[in-house]
Amino acid sequence: MIFENLKIDIDQIPVLEQEDFEPLREDYLYMRISSRILFLLFASGVGALFSLFAQLYFGYWLYPILTLMLFVLIYEPLAFKVKGYLLRDHDVSYKTGLLFFRQTTVPFNRIQHCEYNQGLLGRLFDIASVKVFTAGGNTSDLSVKGLSKERAIKLRDHITKLSSAHE
Amino acid sequence: MNNLELIKPQRQSILGVAVIFFSNLRKAFNFFLAVVFVNLGTKFRILSLGLEEWAYILSAVFLVISYLQYLKFTFYIKGDNFVIEKGVLSQEKINVPFARIQTVNTHQNIVQRILGVVGLKIDTAGSIQNEIQIPALSKKHAQQLREYLMERKYELKEEDAAQDLDEARVDPSAGDSFDNLKIDSKPILELSIKDLLLVGLTQNHFRSGLFLFAIVNGYVWQFEDFLLKPFESYLEETAQSFLTQWIILLPFAILVFLIISVLASLVGTALTHFQFKFFLGEDGMRMSSGLISKNTFNVPFGKIQYFKWESNPLRALIGYYTLRIKQAGTEAINDRKLISIPGIQARSLIKVLNRQYPDRKKMAYQSFQINNLLFIQLAVWLGLIPSLLALVFNFFLIEILWIYPLILCYLALVLFFSYRYFLSYKVKVNPDFTLIKRGWVFPTTLLIPNYKLQNISLKQSIFQKRRAIASLQLYTAAGGENISHLPYNEAHELYNYLLFCIESSKLKWM
Repeated sequence: MIFENLKIDIDQIPVLEQEDFEPLREDYLYMRISSRILFLLFASGVGALFSLFAQLYFGYWLYPILTLMLFVLIYEPLAFKVKGYLLRDHDVSYKTGLLFFRQTTVPFNRIQHCEYNQGLLGRLFDIASVKVFTAGGNTSDLSVKGLSKERAIKLRDHITKLSSAHE
Repeated sequence: MNNLELIKPQRQSILGVAVIFFSNLRKAFNFFLAVVFVNLGTKFRILSLGLEEWAYILSAVFLVISYLQYLKFTFYIKGDNFVIEKGVLSQEKINVPFARIQTVNTHQNIVQRILGVVGLKIDTAGSIQNEIQIPALSKKHAQQLREYLMERKYELKEEDAAQDLDEARVDPSAGDSFDNLKIDSKPILELSIKDLLLVGLTQNHFRSGLFLFAIVNGYVWQFEDFLLKPFESYLEETAQSFLTQWIILLPFAILVFLIISVLASLVGTALTHFQFKFFLGEDGMRMSSGLISKNTFNVPFGKIQYFKWESNPLRALIGYYTLRIKQAGTEAINDRKLISIPGIQARSLIKVLNRQYPDRKKMAYQSFQINNLLFIQLAVWLGLIPSLLALVFNFFLIEILWIYPLILCYLALVLFFSYRYFLSYKVKVNPDFTLIKRGWVFPTTLLIPNYKLQNISLKQSIFQKRRAIASLQLYTAAGGENISHLPYNEAHELYNYLLFCIESSKLKWM
């Protein structure tokens, strides 16, 4: 093993600041809200069926679902402000989480492969995601969400190019 | 070197039928057990055939299935890939590029041992879901195939980087060239029967007891209907007097649990670590052990992601550690238990560390102080909240006076242990390594070379945000490790620094 041990100045190390992150597309917020509202509407549909045919008191499902909808409408815009991604010369980062904040950085020289993804709702809102895989299990994979399709494909190609340069 | 005809699809040894048959049988065993047990009370009869007839018929069916599976299981080489095809009803084709092969290990369970064949397991890093293994090969064939695979893998590397060559090349004269590893012929560690006994006696009995309990419990629930139904009326009757009785029975139950746990650890140790031998060499290490199934693990140094060594109060008493070798790859993550060296003494441990990381003390370490939120959180979640629940429960429902001091004792103990845990938590970082020490009852030390890290997360919950604290999660190809509750500034600095270490390193990390 060849060990290069050059002295480095701590102040010279590049610093990743919260402010550097790029916000996600606003449509991603609307997509998240719609997908959650759709789910809640579906749940209330099921509830309504029970009320109609099994004499279930409608308040049992209506009030919790309304509360959840209100929560989604308040929480999601706040949480959206936290989300963001950042592309640097040597790595890609993503941050998320209002109550439990989490920011992850994957250096290009540790990326195994990289995937582009667009769901059904994503096609409607022009939202796609890029998933970055590292070795050894799936706990350490990173997903950059809320990009436009064009941007996601660009990002994937960029990451693939840079990460394969390290092989 | 090889007289293996690997271009054409090949079958394994004919004895593979038996191996597949027994492994099928074992898989079916649980299911059959349930069927047989449920019908035990009545006379077992389905379609006017008794138990014995059914056993014969099913065995015959299994034999046929196993033979078909054997026929359909072929392996060959195509280009730069090792290909396995299998499956009777649905065909499956597994492609393993040589470059993706991490290590090739052999495995022998009791059936394979009796038949004198070995199973070959190919370990790849990454998330290939299917286990890549060939159940039965003759010993010689397995050895040749293994050598061939490793050689092809290194050949590929050769084309990539010529300077890697010298390190990876085999010297056939240097003893055992089984896995292209230069391994010392004398083991650095060998567990005698006495060592085995000591290791067994100093296991974490609580864990083996619970493990056994979980297995037994699983079986009991499976047959709950038939096991508990006959006693139902009796159980209901005794339920009334049960509350007073369990106080008398409890010490007895604890004693039984203890004895069974110790026995379970002893048996478990004997099974897995019988004739344990640990070799250290220039390029890697090798372990072999096992009573019923014999396992050999080859670990090239380059594949080792990091070391983790731990102890417990009993083991610390006799100066033994357990060294866990964290390897890249799916198998390493699943079979965590097998790639560990029990009963290693400090002297041998340092020998291993010196061989693998001779430079680990070259640069000065910087220490990081953990915030006492760690203590507060442990105390609240493990101590305060359960105590309060118990208190409320007891106050309103049971009302037994002597439970109050018990709760108080519990709380005091949790506070004490949480505080000791908090004090024991130490994080040190130098330009090449990250060292994490934690645990008072179960002291654990982690030594992670910085360039082996893959990615890093910084986490901050709302509780931490108010105090300007953050946690770090370090991921390697062999799993993640956590550093909780650092001051935000320091966590942020460490985050940037470790990223810099990864990105500026040109060493091969896998």
